[in-house]
Amino acid sequence: MLLENKNVIITGCNRGIGRAILERFASNGANVFACTRKESREFSELIDKLSEKYSVNIFPIYFDASSIEEMRSAVKLIQTAKIPINALINNAGITYNALFQMSTIDKIKEVFDVNFVSPFILTQYISKLMIRQKSGSIINIASTAGIDGNSGRSVYGASKAAIICMTKVISAELGEFGIRANSIAPGMTDTDMLSSMSETLISDSLKTSDIKRVGKPSEIADTAVFLASDLASYITGQVIRVDGGLK
Amino acid sequence: MTSNSKLLKGKTAIITGCLKGIGRATMDLFAQNGADIFACCQFESEEFKHHIEVLSKDTCVLIYPLYFDLCDSEQIKTAIKFIRSAKRNIDVLVNIAGMTQDALFHMTTIDQLKKIFEVNFFSQIMFTQYVTKLMLQNKTGSVINISSISAIDGNMGQLSYSSSKAAIIGATKTMSIELAPYGIRVNALAPGVIKTDMTANLPIDILDKQLGKIKLKYFGFPLEVASSILFLASDMSSYITGQIIRIDGGMQ
Repeated sequence: MLLENKNVIITGCNRGIGRAILERFASNGANVFACTRKESREFSELIDKLSEKYSVNIFPIYFDASSIEEMRSAVKLIQTAKIPINALINNAGITYNALFQMSTIDKIKEVFDVNFVSPFILTQYISKLMIRQKSGSIINIASTAGIDGNSGRSVYGASKAAIICMTKVISAELGEFGIRANSIAPGMTDTDMLSSMSETLISDSLKTSDIKRVGKPSEIADTAVFLASDLASYITGQVIRVDGGLK
Repeated sequence: MTSNSKLLKGKTAIITGCLKGIGRATMDLFAQNGADIFACCQFESEEFKHHIEVLSKDTCVLIYPLYFDLCDSEQIKTAIKFIRSAKRNIDVLVNIAGMTQDALFHMTTIDQLKKIFEVNFFSQIMFTQYVTKLMLQNKTGSVINISSISAIDGNMGQLSYSSSKAAIIGATKTMSIELAPYGIRVNALAPGVIKTDMTANLPIDILDKQLGKIKLKYFGFPLEVASSILFLASDMSSYITGQIIRIDGGMQ
Protein backbone atom coordinates (compact mmCIF):
# COMPACT_ATOMS: atom_id res chain seq x y z
CA MET A 1 0.00 0.00 0.00
CA LEU A 2 1.60 3.16 -1.22
CA LEU A 3 -0.77 5.74 0.30
CA GLU A 4 -1.39 4.48 3.82
CA ASN A 5 -2.69 7.22 6.15
CA LYS A 6 -2.70 9.82 3.39
CA ASN A 7 -5.71 12.07 2.85
CA VAL A 8 -6.55 13.11 -0.67
CA ILE A 9 -9.09 15.07 -2.66
CA ILE A 10 -10.22 13.70 -6.03
CA THR A 11 -12.61 15.52 -8.38
CA GLY A 12 -14.80 13.86 -10.98
CA CYS A 13 -15.06 10.56 -9.10
CA ASN A 14 -18.34 9.48 -10.58
CA ARG A 15 -17.04 7.66 -13.63
CA GLY A 16 -14.20 6.99 -16.03
CA ILE A 17 -10.69 7.83 -14.94
CA GLY A 18 -11.89 9.57 -11.76
CA ARG A 19 -13.68 6.48 -10.53
CA ALA A 20 -10.60 4.36 -11.24
CA ILE A 21 -8.46 6.85 -9.31
CA LEU A 22 -10.90 6.67 -6.37
CA GLU A 23 -10.71 2.87 -6.36
CA ARG A 24 -6.92 2.68 -6.68
CA PHE A 25 -6.35 5.31 -4.00
CA ALA A 26 -8.69 3.48 -1.65
CA SER A 27 -7.01 0.13 -2.33
CA ASN A 28 -3.67 1.77 -1.54
CA GLY A 29 -4.92 2.89 1.86
CA ALA A 30 -5.78 6.56 1.24
CA ASN A 31 -8.70 8.37 2.85
CA VAL A 32 -10.57 10.24 0.15
CA PHE A 33 -12.72 13.33 -0.22
CA ALA A 34 -14.57 12.09 -3.29
CA CYS A 35 -15.96 14.99 -5.28
CA THR A 36 -18.70 14.68 -7.87
CA ARG A 37 -21.31 17.02 -9.27
CA LYS A 38 -24.45 15.12 -8.37
CA GLU A 39 -25.54 12.88 -5.57
CA SER A 40 -26.67 9.42 -6.66
CA ARG A 41 -27.55 6.24 -4.89
CA GLU A 42 -25.23 4.27 -7.08
CA PHE A 43 -22.30 6.47 -6.08
CA SER A 44 -23.13 6.26 -2.36
CA GLU A 45 -23.22 2.50 -2.62
CA LEU A 46 -19.84 2.47 -4.39
CA ILE A 47 -18.33 4.56 -1.62
CA ASP A 48 -19.74 2.32 1.09
CA LYS A 49 -18.42 -0.73 -0.70
CA LEU A 50 -14.93 0.69 -1.19
CA SER A 51 -14.53 2.06 2.31
CA GLU A 52 -15.57 -1.24 3.81
CA LYS A 53 -13.42 -3.34 1.49
CA TYR A 54 -10.24 -1.33 2.05
CA SER A 55 -10.91 0.00 5.57
CA VAL A 56 -10.51 3.64 4.58
CA ASN A 57 -12.66 6.71 5.07
CA ILE A 58 -14.34 8.12 1.98
CA PHE A 59 -16.35 11.34 2.32
CA PRO A 60 -18.50 12.22 -0.67
CA ILE A 61 -18.56 15.91 -1.54
CA TYR A 62 -21.05 17.24 -4.05
CA PHE A 63 -20.50 20.46 -5.91
CA ASP A 64 -20.80 21.96 -9.36
CA ALA A 65 -17.26 22.86 -10.37
CA SER A 66 -18.48 25.79 -12.46
CA SER A 67 -19.96 27.49 -9.39
CA ILE A 68 -17.33 29.23 -7.29
CA GLU A 69 -19.86 29.52 -4.45
CA GLU A 70 -20.47 25.78 -4.31
CA MET A 71 -16.75 25.14 -4.49
CA ARG A 72 -16.11 27.47 -1.59
CA SER A 73 -18.57 25.61 0.65
CA ALA A 74 -17.00 22.34 -0.40
CA VAL A 75 -13.58 23.62 0.63
CA LYS A 76 -15.05 24.79 3.96
CA LEU A 77 -16.43 21.32 4.52
CA ILE A 78 -13.00 19.83 3.84
CA GLN A 79 -11.38 22.32 6.22
CA THR A 80 -13.73 21.40 9.07
CA ALA A 81 -12.27 17.88 9.00
CA LYS A 82 -9.02 19.45 10.26
CA ILE A 83 -6.78 16.85 8.74
CA PRO A 84 -3.71 17.34 6.55
CA ILE A 85 -4.36 17.10 2.82
CA ASN A 86 -1.57 15.12 1.18
CA ALA A 87 -2.74 15.15 -2.41
CA LEU A 88 -5.21 16.89 -4.71
CA ILE A 89 -6.16 15.22 -7.98
CA ASN A 90 -7.91 17.53 -10.41
CA ASN A 91 -9.59 15.06 -12.71
CA ALA A 92 -13.06 16.46 -13.49
CA GLY A 93 -13.29 17.65 -17.07
CA ILE A 94 -15.41 17.75 -20.18
CA THR A 95 -14.56 17.03 -23.78
CA TYR A 96 -15.45 18.83 -26.99
CA ASN A 97 -14.72 17.80 -30.56
CA ALA A 98 -15.11 20.45 -33.24
CA LEU A 99 -13.01 21.81 -36.05
CA PHE A 100 -11.35 25.13 -35.32
CA GLN A 101 -13.65 27.11 -37.63
CA MET A 102 -16.74 25.40 -36.20
CA SER A 103 -15.94 25.96 -32.48
CA THR A 104 -18.36 28.35 -30.83
CA ILE A 105 -17.53 30.97 -28.24
CA ASP A 106 -20.04 29.51 -25.80
CA LYS A 107 -18.37 26.13 -25.98
CA ILE A 108 -14.89 27.64 -25.67
CA LYS A 109 -15.95 29.36 -22.47
CA GLU A 110 -17.73 26.32 -21.08
CA VAL A 111 -14.77 23.99 -21.70
CA PHE A 112 -12.27 26.43 -20.22
CA ASP A 113 -14.53 27.00 -17.22
CA VAL A 114 -14.65 23.32 -16.33
CA ASN A 115 -11.21 22.19 -17.51
CA PHE A 116 -9.12 25.17 -16.47
CA VAL A 117 -10.78 27.80 -14.25
CA SER A 118 -12.31 25.29 -11.80
CA PRO A 119 -9.13 23.33 -11.10
CA PHE A 120 -7.25 26.63 -10.95
CA ILE A 121 -9.48 28.02 -8.20
CA LEU A 122 -9.74 24.74 -6.30
CA THR A 123 -5.96 24.39 -6.34
CA GLN A 124 -5.61 27.94 -4.99
CA TYR A 125 -7.74 26.98 -2.00
CA ILE A 126 -6.21 23.58 -1.35
CA SER A 127 -2.59 24.59 -1.89
CA LYS A 128 -3.08 27.21 0.85
CA LEU A 129 -3.64 24.33 3.26
CA MET A 130 -0.62 22.50 1.80
CA ILE A 131 1.63 25.56 2.21
CA ARG A 132 0.73 25.63 5.89
CA GLN A 133 1.65 21.98 6.35
CA LYS A 134 4.73 22.36 4.08
CA SER A 135 3.96 19.32 1.96
CA GLY A 136 1.60 18.06 -0.70
CA SER A 137 1.27 16.60 -4.16
CA ILE A 138 -0.94 18.19 -6.81
CA ILE A 139 -1.86 16.04 -9.79
CA ASN A 140 -3.71 17.43 -12.77
CA ILE A 141 -5.22 15.16 -15.38
CA ALA A 142 -4.38 16.76 -18.71
CA SER A 143 -4.33 15.00 -22.10
CA THR A 144 -1.97 14.16 -24.94
CA ALA A 145 -4.30 16.45 -26.93
CA GLY A 146 -2.84 19.31 -24.88
CA ILE A 147 0.64 18.49 -26.18
CA ASP A 148 0.15 17.10 -29.69
CA GLY A 149 -2.56 19.35 -31.10
CA ASN A 150 -4.87 16.86 -32.79
CA SER A 151 -7.37 17.87 -35.43
CA GLY A 152 -10.75 18.82 -33.93
CA ARG A 153 -9.24 19.48 -30.51
CA SER A 154 -8.48 23.21 -30.64
CA VAL A 155 -10.68 23.97 -27.63
CA TYR A 156 -10.23 20.81 -25.54
CA GLY A 157 -6.51 20.60 -26.34
CA ALA A 158 -5.94 24.27 -25.52
CA SER A 159 -7.70 23.87 -22.17
CA LYS A 160 -5.42 20.92 -21.35
CA ALA A 161 -2.33 22.82 -22.53
CA ALA A 162 -3.38 25.57 -20.10
CA ILE A 163 -3.54 23.05 -17.26
CA ILE A 164 -0.09 21.70 -18.14
CA CYS A 165 1.40 25.18 -18.04
CA MET A 166 -0.41 26.01 -14.80
CA THR A 167 1.03 22.85 -13.26
CA LYS A 168 4.57 23.87 -14.17
CA VAL A 169 4.08 27.34 -12.70
CA ILE A 170 2.67 25.86 -9.48
CA SER A 171 5.71 23.58 -9.22
CA ALA A 172 7.99 26.60 -9.63
CA GLU A 173 6.12 28.78 -7.12
CA LEU A 174 5.33 26.20 -4.45
CA GLY A 175 8.35 23.88 -4.61
CA GLU A 176 10.00 25.70 -1.74
CA PHE A 177 7.02 24.77 0.47
CA GLY A 178 7.57 21.08 -0.26
CA ILE A 179 4.65 20.96 -2.67
CA ARG A 180 5.05 18.97 -5.87
CA ALA A 181 2.85 19.52 -8.93
CA ASN A 182 2.70 17.23 -11.96
CA SER A 183 0.27 16.45 -14.71
CA ILE A 184 -0.65 13.21 -16.39
CA ALA A 185 -1.39 13.19 -20.11
CA PRO A 186 -3.54 10.15 -20.88
CA GLY A 187 -3.80 9.09 -24.50
CA MET A 188 -6.83 7.17 -25.69
CA THR A 189 -8.41 5.72 -22.59
CA ASP A 190 -11.42 3.45 -22.38
CA THR A 191 -14.03 5.85 -20.96
CA ASP A 192 -17.28 7.52 -22.02
CA MET A 193 -15.17 10.40 -23.27
CA LEU A 194 -13.48 8.16 -25.81
CA SER A 195 -16.80 7.07 -27.26
CA SER A 196 -17.36 10.69 -28.32
CA MET A 197 -14.57 10.21 -30.87
CA SER A 198 -15.14 8.61 -34.26
CA GLU A 199 -14.18 4.95 -34.52
CA THR A 200 -11.97 5.45 -37.57
CA LEU A 201 -10.04 8.17 -35.77
CA ILE A 202 -9.44 5.81 -32.83
CA SER A 203 -8.36 2.86 -34.98
CA ASP A 204 -6.10 5.07 -37.12
CA SER A 205 -4.32 6.40 -34.03
CA LEU A 206 -3.94 2.95 -32.55
CA LYS A 207 -2.34 1.67 -35.74
CA THR A 208 0.62 4.01 -35.30
CA SER A 209 0.94 3.62 -31.52
CA ASP A 210 3.41 1.24 -29.87
CA ILE A 211 1.00 -0.67 -27.62
CA LYS A 212 -1.86 -1.17 -30.04
CA ARG A 213 -4.79 -0.93 -27.63
CA VAL A 214 -6.59 1.79 -25.71
CA GLY A 215 -5.55 2.39 -22.13
CA LYS A 216 -7.52 1.26 -19.12
CA PRO A 217 -8.68 3.88 -16.60
CA SER A 218 -6.84 1.88 -13.92
CA GLU A 219 -3.55 2.42 -15.81
CA ILE A 220 -3.99 6.18 -15.57
CA ALA A 221 -4.98 5.78 -11.91
CA ASP A 222 -1.80 3.82 -11.13
CA THR A 223 0.32 6.69 -12.41
CA ALA A 224 -1.66 9.06 -10.19
CA VAL A 225 -0.98 6.76 -7.23
CA PHE A 226 2.72 6.87 -8.06
CA LEU A 227 2.80 10.67 -8.28
CA ALA A 228 0.83 11.06 -5.04
CA SER A 229 3.07 8.62 -3.19
CA ASP A 230 6.51 9.16 -1.70
CA LEU A 231 7.95 7.13 -4.56
CA ALA A 232 7.79 10.32 -6.64
CA SER A 233 9.27 12.60 -3.98
CA TYR A 234 11.81 14.17 -6.37
CA ILE A 235 9.49 14.53 -9.38
CA THR A 236 7.84 17.90 -9.89
CA GLY A 237 6.86 20.14 -12.79
CA GLN A 238 6.53 17.18 -15.13
CA VAL A 239 3.87 16.02 -17.53
CA ILE A 240 3.84 12.25 -17.83
CA ARG A 241 2.33 10.70 -20.93
CA VAL A 242 0.40 7.50 -20.26
CA ASP A 243 -0.47 6.83 -23.86
CA GLY A 244 0.87 3.44 -24.91
CA GLY A 245 3.37 5.18 -27.17
CA LEU A 246 1.10 7.34 -29.36
CA LYS A 247 2.87 8.86 -32.34
CA MET B 1 8.56 3.15 2.51
CA THR B 2 7.20 0.28 0.48
CA SER B 3 7.93 -2.67 2.72
CA ASN B 4 4.35 -3.90 2.70
CA SER B 5 3.64 -3.42 -0.98
CA LYS B 6 5.78 -5.78 -3.01
CA LEU B 7 5.46 -4.32 -6.46
CA LEU B 8 7.83 -6.79 -8.17
CA LYS B 9 6.75 -10.03 -6.56
CA GLY B 10 7.59 -13.01 -8.78
CA LYS B 11 9.63 -10.92 -11.22
CA THR B 12 13.26 -11.31 -12.20
CA ALA B 13 15.38 -8.27 -12.95
CA ILE B 14 18.83 -7.58 -14.35
CA ILE B 15 20.48 -4.43 -12.99
CA THR B 16 23.85 -3.09 -14.14
CA GLY B 17 26.07 -0.82 -12.05
CA CYS B 18 24.97 -2.31 -8.73
CA LEU B 19 28.18 -1.53 -6.86
CA LYS B 20 27.16 1.93 -5.66
CA GLY B 21 24.99 5.00 -6.11
CA ILE B 22 21.71 4.70 -7.98
CA GLY B 23 22.45 1.07 -8.95
CA ARG B 24 22.92 -0.02 -5.35
CA ALA B 25 19.77 1.80 -4.23
CA THR B 26 17.81 0.18 -7.07
CA MET B 27 19.06 -3.29 -6.19
CA ASP B 28 18.08 -2.79 -2.54
CA LEU B 29 14.62 -1.43 -3.41
CA PHE B 30 13.95 -4.18 -5.96
CA ALA B 31 14.88 -6.84 -3.42
CA GLN B 32 12.57 -5.23 -0.84
CA ASN B 33 9.84 -5.37 -3.48
CA GLY B 34 10.22 -9.08 -4.04
CA ALA B 35 12.27 -9.28 -7.24
CA ASP B 36 14.96 -11.87 -7.87
CA ILE B 37 18.01 -10.08 -9.23
CA PHE B 38 21.00 -10.59 -11.46
CA ALA B 39 23.21 -7.92 -9.91
CA CYS B 40 25.89 -6.80 -12.38
CA CYS B 41 29.11 -5.04 -11.36
CA GLN B 42 32.44 -4.57 -13.00
CA PHE B 43 34.51 -5.80 -10.05
CA GLU B 44 34.10 -8.31 -7.28
CA SER B 45 34.43 -6.97 -3.73
CA GLU B 46 34.04 -8.43 -0.26
CA GLU B 47 31.80 -5.57 0.80
CA PHE B 48 29.45 -6.17 -2.14
CA LYS B 49 29.34 -9.92 -1.58
CA HIS B 50 28.51 -9.42 2.06
CA HIS B 51 25.88 -6.80 1.21
CA ILE B 52 23.94 -9.03 -1.17
CA GLU B 53 24.16 -11.97 1.21
CA VAL B 54 22.50 -9.97 3.96
CA LEU B 55 20.06 -8.35 1.53
CA SER B 56 18.85 -11.62 0.04
CA LYS B 57 18.45 -13.15 3.48
CA ASP B 58 16.50 -10.14 4.81
CA THR B 59 14.21 -9.90 1.81
CA CYS B 60 13.92 -13.60 0.90
CA VAL B 61 14.83 -13.10 -2.76
CA LEU B 62 17.57 -14.64 -4.89
CA ILE B 63 20.42 -12.37 -5.91
CA TYR B 64 22.99 -13.62 -8.38
CA PRO B 65 26.10 -11.44 -8.57
CA LEU B 66 27.61 -11.10 -12.06
CA TYR B 67 31.01 -9.52 -12.50
CA PHE B 68 31.93 -8.35 -15.95
CA ASP B 69 33.16 -5.41 -17.99
CA LEU B 70 30.30 -4.10 -20.13
CA CYS B 71 32.84 -2.77 -22.64
CA ASP B 72 34.14 -6.27 -23.37
CA SER B 73 31.81 -8.10 -25.75
CA GLU B 74 33.27 -11.48 -24.81
CA GLN B 75 32.55 -10.86 -21.14
CA ILE B 76 29.01 -9.74 -22.01
CA LYS B 77 28.46 -13.01 -23.86
CA THR B 78 29.67 -15.03 -20.88
CA ALA B 79 27.37 -13.11 -18.57
CA ILE B 80 24.41 -13.69 -20.89
CA LYS B 81 25.24 -17.40 -21.00
CA PHE B 82 25.12 -17.52 -17.22
CA ILE B 83 21.80 -15.68 -17.16
CA ARG B 84 20.37 -18.03 -19.77
CA SER B 85 21.54 -21.09 -17.86
CA ALA B 86 19.46 -19.99 -14.89
CA LYS B 87 16.41 -20.65 -17.10
CA ARG B 88 14.30 -17.83 -15.76
CA ASN B 89 11.99 -15.41 -17.47
CA ILE B 90 13.61 -11.99 -17.46
CA ASP B 91 11.00 -9.33 -16.71
CA VAL B 92 13.08 -6.23 -16.16
CA LEU B 93 16.38 -4.79 -17.38
CA VAL B 94 17.77 -1.66 -15.73
CA ASN B 95 20.83 -0.15 -17.44
CA ILE B 96 22.50 1.97 -14.80
CA ALA B 97 26.25 1.45 -15.25
CA GLY B 98 27.74 4.62 -16.67
CA MET B 99 30.51 7.14 -16.29
CA THR B 100 31.06 10.87 -16.46
CA GLN B 101 34.01 12.98 -17.46
CA ASP B 102 33.77 16.74 -17.67
CA ALA B 103 35.56 18.80 -20.29
CA LEU B 104 34.67 21.87 -22.29
CA PHE B 105 33.65 21.32 -25.91
CA HIS B 106 36.94 22.58 -27.37
CA MET B 107 39.00 20.64 -24.82
CA THR B 108 37.24 17.32 -25.41
CA THR B 109 39.50 14.78 -27.10
CA ILE B 110 38.27 12.15 -29.51
CA ASP B 111 39.57 9.46 -27.16
CA GLN B 112 37.49 10.82 -24.27
CA LEU B 113 34.47 11.01 -26.52
CA LYS B 114 34.92 7.43 -27.70
CA LYS B 115 35.45 6.16 -24.15
CA ILE B 116 32.28 7.79 -22.84
CA PHE B 117 30.21 6.52 -25.74
CA GLU B 118 31.72 3.07 -25.28
CA VAL B 119 30.57 2.92 -21.64
CA ASN B 120 27.36 4.97 -21.72
CA PHE B 121 26.00 3.96 -25.10
CA PHE B 122 27.56 1.18 -27.22
CA SER B 123 27.95 -1.34 -24.42
CA GLN B 124 24.42 -0.69 -23.15
CA ILE B 125 22.93 -1.17 -26.60
CA MET B 126 24.78 -4.46 -27.05
CA PHE B 127 23.76 -5.73 -23.62
CA THR B 128 20.14 -4.68 -24.18
CA GLN B 129 20.11 -6.52 -27.52
CA TYR B 130 21.03 -9.77 -25.78
CA VAL B 131 18.69 -9.32 -22.83
CA THR B 132 15.64 -8.27 -24.86
CA LYS B 133 16.16 -11.37 -27.03
CA LEU B 134 15.55 -13.36 -23.85
CA MET B 135 12.47 -11.22 -23.14
CA LEU B 136 11.01 -11.83 -26.61
CA GLN B 137 10.19 -15.38 -25.65
CA ASN B 138 7.89 -14.48 -22.77
CA LYS B 139 6.29 -11.58 -24.66
CA THR B 140 6.60 -9.21 -21.74
CA GLY B 141 9.26 -7.01 -20.26
CA SER B 142 10.31 -3.56 -19.14
CA VAL B 143 13.61 -1.90 -20.02
CA ILE B 144 14.67 1.18 -18.08
CA ASN B 145 17.56 3.33 -19.26
CA ILE B 146 19.20 6.16 -17.39
CA SER B 147 19.64 9.35 -19.35
CA SER B 148 20.23 12.75 -17.77
CA ILE B 149 18.71 16.21 -17.76
CA SER B 150 22.00 17.38 -19.28
CA ALA B 151 21.00 15.45 -22.41
CA ILE B 152 17.84 17.57 -22.68
CA ASP B 153 19.03 20.93 -21.36
CA GLY B 154 22.72 20.82 -22.25
CA ASN B 155 25.27 21.53 -19.53
CA MET B 156 28.48 23.50 -19.56
CA GLY B 157 31.49 21.18 -19.62
CA GLN B 158 29.51 18.03 -20.34
CA LEU B 159 29.81 17.74 -24.10
CA SER B 160 30.65 14.05 -24.19
CA TYR B 161 28.47 12.99 -21.24
CA SER B 162 25.37 14.88 -22.36
CA SER B 163 25.74 13.64 -25.95
CA SER B 164 26.00 10.03 -24.83
CA LYS B 165 22.92 10.46 -22.65
CA ALA B 166 21.04 12.12 -25.53
CA ALA B 167 21.89 9.07 -27.64
CA ILE B 168 20.20 6.96 -24.96
CA ILE B 169 17.01 8.97 -25.42
CA GLY B 170 16.93 8.29 -29.15
CA ALA B 171 17.64 4.61 -28.57
CA THR B 172 14.92 4.40 -25.92
CA LYS B 173 12.26 5.80 -28.24
CA THR B 174 13.23 3.58 -31.17
CA MET B 175 13.44 0.46 -29.00
CA SER B 176 9.99 1.28 -27.65
CA ILE B 177 8.60 1.26 -31.19
CA GLU B 178 10.40 -1.92 -32.25
CA LEU B 179 9.84 -3.96 -29.10
CA ALA B 180 6.23 -3.01 -28.29
CA PRO B 181 4.84 -5.82 -30.51
CA TYR B 182 6.57 -8.24 -28.12
CA GLY B 183 5.03 -6.66 -25.03
CA ILE B 184 8.29 -4.99 -24.05
CA ARG B 185 8.10 -1.42 -22.75
CA VAL B 186 11.15 0.84 -22.91
CA ASN B 187 11.48 4.09 -20.96
CA ALA B 188 14.25 6.32 -19.68
CA LEU B 189 14.72 8.46 -16.61
CA ALA B 190 16.51 11.77 -16.78
CA PRO B 191 17.86 12.48 -13.28
CA GLY B 192 18.99 15.95 -12.24
CA VAL B 193 21.63 16.42 -9.57
CA ILE B 194 21.63 13.30 -7.39
CA LYS B 195 23.89 12.78 -4.37
CA THR B 196 26.29 10.12 -5.62
CA ASP B 197 30.01 9.71 -6.17
CA MET B 198 29.45 11.16 -9.62
CA THR B 199 28.44 14.53 -8.19
CA ALA B 200 30.54 14.40 -5.00
CA ASN B 201 33.58 15.93 -6.68
CA LEU B 202 31.81 18.90 -8.25
CA PRO B 203 33.15 22.27 -7.09
CA ILE B 204 31.07 23.87 -4.33
CA ASP B 205 30.26 27.00 -6.38
CA ILE B 206 28.80 24.88 -9.17
CA LEU B 207 26.73 22.91 -6.68
CA ASP B 208 25.44 26.14 -5.13
CA LYS B 209 24.43 27.42 -8.53
CA GLN B 210 22.63 24.18 -9.33
CA LEU B 211 20.82 24.16 -5.98
CA GLY B 212 19.48 27.64 -6.74
CA LYS B 213 17.75 26.23 -9.80
CA ILE B 214 16.04 23.36 -7.95
CA LYS B 215 12.52 24.20 -6.83
CA LEU B 216 12.41 21.56 -4.09
CA LYS B 217 15.66 23.06 -2.70
CA TYR B 218 17.68 19.88 -2.23
CA PHE B 219 19.76 17.44 -4.26
CA GLY B 220 18.03 14.17 -4.99
CA PHE B 221 18.84 10.90 -3.23
CA PRO B 222 19.68 7.68 -5.09
CA LEU B 223 16.61 6.09 -3.46
CA GLU B 224 14.36 8.67 -5.13
CA VAL B 225 15.66 7.69 -8.56
CA ALA B 226 15.37 4.02 -7.62
CA SER B 227 11.72 4.61 -6.66
CA SER B 228 10.90 5.85 -10.17
CA ILE B 229 12.76 2.90 -11.66
CA LEU B 230 10.59 0.66 -9.46
CA PHE B 231 7.45 2.30 -10.86
CA LEU B 232 8.58 1.84 -14.47
CA ALA B 233 9.59 -1.77 -13.78
CA SER B 234 6.26 -2.64 -12.16
CA ASP B 235 2.89 -3.33 -13.76
CA MET B 236 1.74 0.05 -12.44
CA SER B 237 3.22 1.59 -15.59
CA SER B 238 1.80 -0.98 -18.03
CA TYR B 239 0.61 1.73 -20.48
CA ILE B 240 3.75 3.88 -20.34
CA THR B 241 6.35 3.34 -23.05
CA GLY B 242 8.76 5.46 -25.08
CA GLN B 243 8.83 8.13 -22.38
CA ILE B 244 11.63 10.17 -20.85
CA ILE B 245 10.78 11.14 -17.29
CA ARG B 246 12.70 13.94 -15.61
CA ILE B 247 13.44 13.41 -11.94
CA ASP B 248 15.12 16.66 -11.03
CA GLY B 249 13.27 18.29 -8.14
CA GLY B 250 11.90 20.88 -10.57
CA MET B 251 14.98 22.35 -12.23
CA GLN B 252 14.69 25.58 -14.18
